[in-house]
Amino acid sequence: MNNSESENRNLNVCDLKYLNDLMGGKKHLVKGVLDVFLIQIPEELQCINEAVTKINYAVIKGYAHTMKSTVSIMGISCLTDILQEMEDLSASSTDIENIIMLNQKLNLICNKAIEEIENEKHNYV
Amino acid sequence: MIVKAKNKINIFIVDDNKVFSMALKADIEDAFADLVIEIFTFETGEKCKRRFMQVMPELVILDYYLNSADFGAADGIKVLDWIKQENEETNVIMLTSDDHIDIALKSLKHGASDYIVKTETQFRKINYSLLNFFKMMEAKVEARRYKRILAALFICVALLIIGVTAIQIFMPSQL
Repeated sequence: MNNSESENRNLNVCDLKYLNDLMGGKKHLVKGVLDVFLIQIPEELQCINEAVTKINYAVIKGYAHTMKSTVSIMGISCLTDILQEMEDLSASSTDIENIIMLNQKLNLICNKAIEEIENEKHNYV
Repeated sequence: MIVKAKNKINIFIVDDNKVFSMALKADIEDAFADLVIEIFTFETGEKCKRRFMQVMPELVILDYYLNSADFGAADGIKVLDWIKQENEETNVIMLTSDDHIDIALKSLKHGASDYIVKTETQFRKINYSLLNFFKMMEAKVEARRYKRILAALFICVALLIIGVTAIQIFMPSQL
């Protein structure tokens, strides 16, 4: 691995090592999960964004909870605390301003993750 | 792997997170590659119910929060109750992201055979649980086999005793 590749990996929000290990290095299986991720995450983001706009705490909590499993499999560790905080805040139905701010971070990181995976996917054909 | 495959084992994974279900399915298939396993994935308990009666799976891996995003969907406990009502023999492993003792106790009380918290080591824990389940299945099959052998042996001995008694009664001079 050269220096620029190593730097890129450090800047990436996704770390697919865990997923690769899970799939025993089988590229077609990893690609299958990546494809599902690329469909699932935009749908979940849309739902959570709508829920934040409508201040629907129950829906925010539900999606934040579901997304925790997804981000852990995709190695997006920087989202674990954000989603946990969103889940906790929405469980107590408080601090919508903070939830809005966390949701902005969530969108930013998820969009970066989608971009990375779109690029990375071609290595798993 | 220690356990040996004889018959096909049907496993249902019921989780509203498709990424999780796919990853778990691939992981189980990889970990137990020498077993004949068919894994079905479902996003809701309702979809699982529709297929349950046809397949009658030996094991169901069930998410506790099945209705975290779809509020109309049945939660894990409701699905667990339904499974146990339809087939008491089906083993259920309950999964949840929350490490609450109440949820664990509730799941076990409703008939779950194991309870696993979704953490970084979740897949390893599930595989250990599956390994125990497969060993248990194998032990049950062995127990049934020994029971049949014992029954056959008992019948042979009984027939021998009857034969000897009959000879003693009807043809005492032969002995």
